Amino acid sequence: MSSKKIRLVGTALAMIGLVWLGVVYWMSFFWVSTEVTQGVAQRIFYVHVPAAWTSFLAFGLAALTSAMYLWLRDERLDRAAVSAAEGGMVFATIMLATGPLWGKIAWGTYWTWEPRLTLTLLLWFIFLGYFLVRSSTENPEKGKRHAAVVAIVGALDIPFIHLSVIWFRSLHPEPVVIKAEGPTLPGDMLATLSMSLGAFTALFLGLFLLRYSLENLRAELDTRSRHASV
Amino acid sequence: MRNYFAQIGAILWKDLRVELRTRERLITMGAFAVLAAILFNYATDRVGVSHEDIAAGLVWMTIVFAGLLGVGRTFHLEAEDGALQGILLSPVPKDAVFLAKALSNFVLLYIVALLVVAVFMLFFGLEVGSSAGMIALVIGLGVLGFVALGTLFSAISTGTRMGETLLPVLVFPLLAPVVIYGTSATSQFLEGRPVTEAEGSIKMLAAFALMALFAGSWLFRFVVED
Repeated sequence: MSSKKIRLVGTALAMIGLVWLGVVYWMSFFWVSTEVTQGVAQRIFYVHVPAAWTSFLAFGLAALTSAMYLWLRDERLDRAAVSAAEGGMVFATIMLATGPLWGKIAWGTYWTWEPRLTLTLLLWFIFLGYFLVRSSTENPEKGKRHAAVVAIVGALDIPFIHLSVIWFRSLHPEPVVIKAEGPTLPGDMLATLSMSLGAFTALFLGLFLLRYSLENLRAELDTRSRHASV
Repeated sequence: MRNYFAQIGAILWKDLRVELRTRERLITMGAFAVLAAILFNYATDRVGVSHEDIAAGLVWMTIVFAGLLGVGRTFHLEAEDGALQGILLSPVPKDAVFLAKALSNFVLLYIVALLVVAVFMLFFGLEVGSSAGMIALVIGLGVLGFVALGTLFSAISTGTRMGETLLPVLVFPLLAPVVIYGTSATSQFLEGRPVTEAEGSIKMLAAFALMALFAGSWLFRFVVED
């Protein structure tokens, strides 16, 4: 795909994602029924869960493209990795902000050492390291390689962090959608959640492509200014 | 294969000999461990909380901090002298260089870690008793996982402007499993519980160490290539 096409697709996806998100907000505030035990606070679920899902998708994509970058040494893979990692940071931050807000009402405390919350917080810090490593080397090529190593080790470490924090303590509501007996979530809630998952994914993919084409433009500018100075 | 181990052995022995002559890292890490134990004594409430309850956590945090101090300087001396270039140019596979470096860090940190336990026994009146061997095993496995990650990330942070200050930011989030399983197994042994209760934690520590050694020896070549 040419870089102009990527930009167009990215803009379209981001716009669709935004409109779709508007629909999701309307659904989660006015359409879906209120959960019996948790009350209105439960509605944050339609932002929290999709944000978590999107951040994991983004970090996974970043780790995958990082590994492929080390293998194939194609600059575009590194640009994809950094774009995905940035998106992951944004959605992980949303997840980390909405979790405690809900927790304060449902559990009576902002922070608990709940496994999935802890895992996301640690992931957030792993990718903070990713950006620090990237930006603190004098040779940008070296920074890219080092950052890719951080992302890969992070991905390999995640199963361990996941198991250890679960083992440490679990207070989090159990999954209500993906489990052996099929979803137990009432129909309208499942519909709202599915809509929201779709909106967040479209929004992320749109932002990812826009960010990726920005990296492409930057690289092109860099090459051109270098040619001009020669 | 024999050649491979000979190469690891040569670099390992060189590193240990440098340390034996300078004693820089052992002395700083050892002094840090003892001083941390002294400060922990004043920072914790001796009356309200019994030391057996928090000792395992303090022991592990001391090992982690002391470890960062030493592991962060893995490539320092060589980078200053330009000797790292020499080692990397020698016909030794990069993973052998990594394993040798990780092993020399392991030897140093394991000595310090056992010193930490001894210091806590002395200062806090901990009873290790019959589970001394198991505690040594738990700490050994945890330290192995720690140095594997620490050596890899030390190679990364040495090459950055931020240097060692970057190391904890990179390593701490990844080390959560080591601290969680290590602390839990250690405290179970300190309380004199049977081995079977800590078996799961020990297996996870071993799996973590294997993963970290594998990741390090695979990824080290990408960190040091130039």
